[in-house]
Amino acid sequence: MTPAWILDILAALMLVVAAVSAARLAAARPWRRDAVVVDTDVAHLLMAIAMAGMLASSLGTLPDTAWEVVFGLLAAWFAGRVLADARRSGVRALAGGHCAPHLVHSGSMLYVFLAGSSPEALTGGMGDRPGSASMALSHPTLALVFALVLVGYAIWDLDQLSGRRYATGAQVSLAGVGAVGGVGATYQAGGDHASRTADGHAAASRDGGTARAGGPRPGGGGFLLSPAVTVGCRITMGITMAFMLLIAL
Amino acid sequence: MSEVAAVSGRPAWRIRPDEGTRAPAVRIDARRALQLALAGLWLLDGVLQYQPAMFTPAFSRMLAASAAGNPAVIARPIIWDATLVGHHLALLNTIFATIQLLLGLGIAFRPTVRLALAASVAWSVAVWWFGEGLGGVLAGGASPLDGGPGAVIIYALIAVLLWPADRPGGPAPFVAARAVGARAARVLWLVFWLSQAYFALTPENRAPQAARDMITGMESGEPHWLAAMTRGAASLVAGQGLATSIVLTVALVLIAVGVYLPARAARTTLLLAIVLTVVIWVFAQALGGILASGATDPESGPLLALLALAYWPARPGPARPAAATGRAAQLPAADGPADGPAAEGTASR
Repeated sequence: MTPAWILDILAALMLVVAAVSAARLAAARPWRRDAVVVDTDVAHLLMAIAMAGMLASSLGTLPDTAWEVVFGLLAAWFAGRVLADARRSGVRALAGGHCAPHLVHSGSMLYVFLAGSSPEALTGGMGDRPGSASMALSHPTLALVFALVLVGYAIWDLDQLSGRRYATGAQVSLAGVGAVGGVGATYQAGGDHASRTADGHAAASRDGGTARAGGPRPGGGGFLLSPAVTVGCRITMGITMAFMLLIAL
Repeated sequence: MSEVAAVSGRPAWRIRPDEGTRAPAVRIDARRALQLALAGLWLLDGVLQYQPAMFTPAFSRMLAASAAGNPAVIARPIIWDATLVGHHLALLNTIFATIQLLLGLGIAFRPTVRLALAASVAWSVAVWWFGEGLGGVLAGGASPLDGGPGAVIIYALIAVLLWPADRPGGPAPFVAARAVGARAARVLWLVFWLSQAYFALTPENRAPQAARDMITGMESGEPHWLAAMTRGAASLVAGQGLATSIVLTVALVLIAVGVYLPARAARTTLLLAIVLTVVIWVFAQALGGILASGATDPESGPLLALLALAYWPARPGPARPAAATGRAAQLPAADGPADGPAAEGTASR
């Protein structure tokens, strides 16, 4: 058995991700009529809570069926977004878009809950509840495929994060919350890509999407609300998810 | 989930896609792409090392078994290491797994790529000795079908070839030549593949049932579809040990000398290398035994394919515009002076 304390550490890490995502959502002020919350933060919050419950059974929250519905809906949402992106920018949407990794994350979670609760897995498992990190999964080949894709996205995200693709202070995610000035990543990608300058202003025109940041937001919170934090959460969850899939092989 | 939710006829909060993570990708050159593939393999190794089977005494027994047949000077430290691991299994295996995880993350994280690559060389050599008994090179058990002369030493070789530095002079003919030079890179390739050809011809590996027995040994615990494929491969080579060795040796020698041929012929032999390693990885190594659980790495197949890609002849790229050079200089250095958007053309495969 993988020692319980390793699973507990990862569960704690997931709770941190959940807390960060919740803080980002709170900053969007969803109680206001015109507030806009971002899909990635919603997905991260739900996924982190579910994963914490899988890693440490004492942190379990919803029944497995409820999680299956939640991740089914999330997968459908991100699948729709990927299709929309693909219509605009072709296969680039799979490699560089933000929706494809979340589609894989949601699909992985859905798979874990479905494969973990299937009769095949229950008879061949280790006696733990469905969705637990210490149980066997049916269709292990699918688990390996998901794990490889998750590892691939995590590595790509880490490279892009350290290549300053994502601002660490400019808040461009949460509409309804003022843009926040930041450290300003200094690079300019060529061709039809975006430009980003040292004063923290960003403009992206690829895929028809826009992202602009400028001017400090009263009250601060720039780093918490930055795209880099979103991507950091995504990397953490991707690796943890790959871990859960592979130890269940 | 709808994009616009309405409560009592009033517009309520909306969920919308995250525009902040839509920033365009920082483009990478061929060497950085290969470094990221290497990082992914290390990360995968690290996660595999956390598997429940690695926290059982079977892991220390596996380490001890690699000492068999080696000279005492090599075997004694392996036995000592296996005993130590057996006494502190949870702690040491967690450390091993975490080191490999950090190597993967370190290579993917641009500011630490040099440190992580250097550490990966040291770690690979240590694991090659203490974990794989030098891949059976001295014990006589190395086989190209079984990942010989040891999958882990290929990590070290690739790390050296993908070192983020460029030798002075003109553009390198392939990625692996950028750090060590074309001559040294070709010699390393030649020695590596010729050594595989030699191992394919050893008496142990050309025995009539050698290939069949080795492949059959991989079948246990595999999913039905993979077990069926390995069974088919085993029956194909049953009693054909010598013929299998000869075919394999001819292919390996062709691959070895391929990097000295003109670009078009070199590409053909590199393609042969990739196809051969994929076939061996799937049919003889059963994807490294990952799906049977208890595998510490995905075996040599993906690494050899990665190695072959590092030798893929580069097409002459367009001249780098001065403005583009300026832009590249503003990027965090992960890959030496040729990294960044401007370098895409100069090192493209």
